[in-house]
Order: sequence, then structure tokens, then C-alpha cells
Amino acid sequence: MISGMKTRSLLAALALATLGATGAFAEDKVTVPSHDAVAAAEAPKDAVVVNIAKMKYETPEIKIKPGQTVVWINQEAMPHNVEFQAGVTGEAALKGPMLKKEQAYSVTFNEAGEFPYHCTPHPFMRGKVIVE
Amino acid sequence: MATPRNILPADLARLLCAGLTCSVLALGTAYAETAAAPQTEGQKQAAEGAAKLAKGEDDEPHIGTMPKADAHRVYVNDPAHFAAITQQFIIDGASGNVLGMTDGGFLPNPVISNDGTVIAQVSTVFERIARGKRTDYVEVFDTETLLPSADIELPNTPRFLIGTYPQMSTLTPDNKTLLFYQFSPSPAVGLVDLANKKFDRMIDVPDCYEMFPTANDTFYMHCRDGSMAKVEFGGAEPKISHSEVFHGEDDHLINTPAYSMKAKKILWPTYTGKIYPVDLSGDQAKVDKAIEAFTEAERKEGWAPGGWQPIAFHRVKDRIYLLADKREEWTHKDPSRFVFVIDAKTGERVKKIEMGHEIDAINVSQNAEGTLLYGLSTGDRTLYIYDEETGKEVRHVDQLGRGPQVITVSDMES
Ligand SMILES: [Cu+2]
Repeated sequence: MISGMKTRSLLAALALATLGATGAFAEDKVTVPSHDAVAAAEAPKDAVVVNIAKMKYETPEIKIKPGQTVVWINQEAMPHNVEFQAGVTGEAALKGPMLKKEQAYSVTFNEAGEFPYHCTPHPFMRGKVIVE
Repeated sequence: MATPRNILPADLARLLCAGLTCSVLALGTAYAETAAAPQTEGQKQAAEGAAKLAKGEDDEPHIGTMPKADAHRVYVNDPAHFAAITQQFIIDGASGNVLGMTDGGFLPNPVISNDGTVIAQVSTVFERIARGKRTDYVEVFDTETLLPSADIELPNTPRFLIGTYPQMSTLTPDNKTLLFYQFSPSPAVGLVDLANKKFDRMIDVPDCYEMFPTANDTFYMHCRDGSMAKVEFGGAEPKISHSEVFHGEDDHLINTPAYSMKAKKILWPTYTGKIYPVDLSGDQAKVDKAIEAFTEAERKEGWAPGGWQPIAFHRVKDRIYLLADKREEWTHKDPSRFVFVIDAKTGERVKKIEMGHEIDAINVSQNAEGTLLYGLSTGDRTLYIYDEETGKEVRHVDQLGRGPQVITVSDMES
């Protein structure tokens, strides 16, 4: 049911179960509304958008406030994703699904900090979310 | 073709082991056959065995050892079309005999030192053949017995699993450090301390690929932006600097350039047969005037390089060997039937050798006299061996695994 996640404590497990029921999954410092790619139109309306095109994250560095959501939208045929290495959003790596053209993936950042990420098959595509 | 072990009675085959290369090596030796020699190795061993038998000498089976490496030692690695388990064949190019074999895991990178004293590989195994827990490790073999002399585990399975590019793992000039490349999750180079038999550390590098060591604490890489990066790792933090961008975005450099560590020179061909000589002897990589392997008329006819390892460089002769054929665009991984020999100094063509087979990889022995040109056919699973001067095929070694692709030689010449 929960892909790419690691249960570290009973409390965390319970939190996951609770959130799982509402369709949201809690990582350590972030919340992921959907682990699957969704159509861009279904992305949260109030999210900060990072478009992906020409093998780049168009705004590689963005600054947001705690509680804000970032949505990545792929604008081209080449599939891309976002991957946070182990230790960035939680103990385990957070590997987003591959996004086809006009698909989106969102992450809500709950805590202040710097969250560097990259595209799994294109490690030269890099970005960073700074939560202040 | 019948091999000697097929035509000999089992008992005689066993007796033949006495005093000869045998036991673990016997199988390998038996299947090497020399095309041009008056007597094959198998026939020679049969005659010697028969003579011993006639004299009443006892058979004394033993485990053979490897002779000392010389300029004609050649290593053929078989990635076996992405099979979980692979092999490397250690061959005497002068006789066409298989001297020994080493086993490897998934897409291992062979590493052979220039003086022939280090045979190692960076390899990957899984606890259930191709699934389960993955282990990446460096294995060093004793050059005489081929027994492992070191087994060094690499933490966090950092290897880049890719079709075997020779420069994705390499040794520093003193043979004390082994370097291997990591692609994911970020570009990095792993350092393995062979002298102390332990993993040292990973170095973060820019978006660059392959390693070309020039000193015991320095190597170069080729970067996505078309520059070369110099990485000096002697200090606490690696020092990284870039050369100028030397090729355009549509100028595609192949994955398997020729590198002479002793000459500190890379010969890097493009898909169309332009060859960039990259000089690493100075303070930063410097790219000399590109050599065009083909005339404009030839390019129009479709002549272009192609194969897995389509370029070789002879340091002392200062010659470039480029495997090529008439081909369609985007067939650059297909085999070729010709080798174009080019003077690296002048860029002039010396000659064109017709290989007579579909060849995927080439290399040359580095001795100045009696140089051998090796042509490996993945399809035929055969190493064809040519006299570099005459271009004539002199012998061949067949049955080299399932899809042999990589030829490694040592540069022992001073
Ligand atoms: Cu991507």
C-alpha cells in the first residue's frame, strides 16, 4: 500500500495508518498527497508550481513557508520525476513517480530546512526547495 | 570445429595434464586453437602426452599457475549480454592459448595494471542469483594463481550498472587506488585503497563521466557541457576545475575512447569519425586539432566508426586504430569489418586493414616490435589476432563466453 516508506516507530506507523485512510501519507518532514502521478489539472490549486521542461526544473531553487505545497509539472514528453535522497525528507529516500507530459506530483513541506532533489534517470537535473 | 578435448579419449586427456598446464586451466587451454600454426596446442599436448606415456612416466595432476605477463597478454571480458554471472578470459596473444579465467558477477569492470601485476574487477552479486540483497565489491586476483588476494566490499551498492565501458573503473599510476564511477543518485567517484585493501570514500563530482587518471591523486572526466574536468583528490576536499568546452552539443563522443595513461592522452572519436586528441599532460586538459579519419567523399559513402570498443592507440608507434565500416546513421554499435590505421602525429592514414570478420572491439599490444592487433567478434565469440604490420590474421581464439565485448592490454613498454 505505501511505497517507498519506512516505518520507524509505532507512533509513526499509527500516523501513517491514519493519514493513509485520508489518502495522504506522512513522511518525516513532508506530506505527500499522492504517491502516484496525477493529471496537472488535479494538482492542488494553491501549490507553488515548478515546471519541468528541456531537461531542467525551470525554477531550480524556490523558497516557501512551512505548510506550503510544491507541485512539479512535466511539460515535455521526456519523463522526469523528483527524488530526495535518504536523510533529506526522512530516513528513507523519497522517490517520486515518473511524470509523463502534463502530469504532476506534489509535496507539502511541514518544516523549515533545505531540501535538495534530483531527477532519478537524469541526476544532472537538480533543484532545491528552501523552507523558511 | 572439433576441439582437442573432443577427439581425445578421456583417459589420455587426463594423462596429458601431467607436467603441462592443466587442472583448472586445462579446459581453457584445450579450447584455444591456432589457425595458422603447423600444430595446434591440443596436438602438441597430445604428442607430449603420448611420449610420456610411452616412456612410462606417471601422470601427476596438479593445479597450474599463470606464466608472468608479457606484452602479448590480452584479457577478454564477456559481459554475456547482461547475464548475472560473467567471465574474463586471460589469453596469450602470441600463442592464442587461454591461460586462465576469472569469474565475475553482473556487468563487472575489469581493471588491469599497465605492468601486469594487478588483475582486479569491480563486480556485483545478488544473494539469489539476480535478486535479493545486492553486494558490490572489488576483487583482486593473485596474478600467478588467480586466487583472490583481496575482496573489498563497497558500501551502499554504489556501482554504475552499465554495459562495460573500460574507463568507468580504473587504477592510479601507482596501482594503489582503484577508482569506480557512481551514476545514481548523484555523480560520484569511489576510491578504493588497494594497498590497504579497504574502501576509502566517495568523491562528489560534477555532471561528468569516466575517469582518466594522470597522477596518483589526479584524474580527468568528460562533462555533459562538453568540457573536461580535472579532479585532484589528495586534500581533504577534492579540487575540481574545468577545461574549455571542446565539442558541440551535436558532436557525439563515443562511450569507449582509447586512453594511454603513460602518454596522458585520450583519443576520443565521434560518431562520424572525427577524433579528438585530448592531452592531459599539462595543468588542464587541452584538446589538440581534431583528426578526421575519413575524407569527405568517404563520409558521403557512409564510412563511419562502429562497434563496442572501436578505437585503440599504440603509444610508441603513435598510431590510432579505428574500427569502421560503411553504415547507416545510428548503427554505431554494430560491428565493422575494417580498421583504419592513422598516424596520430600527422593525422595521415597509414593503411586500412580488412579484418575479414564482423568485429566489435579492437585493441593493440603495446610492444614496438611484433605488435599484435586484436579484433574481437561478439557474434562469433572469437578473438581474431592479426600482425599489426602486415594486417594478416595469424590466429584466433574461439568459444570466449556468450557475448565478449571488452579487450584489455597492459602497456609495459618504457
Ligand atoms: Cu529527468
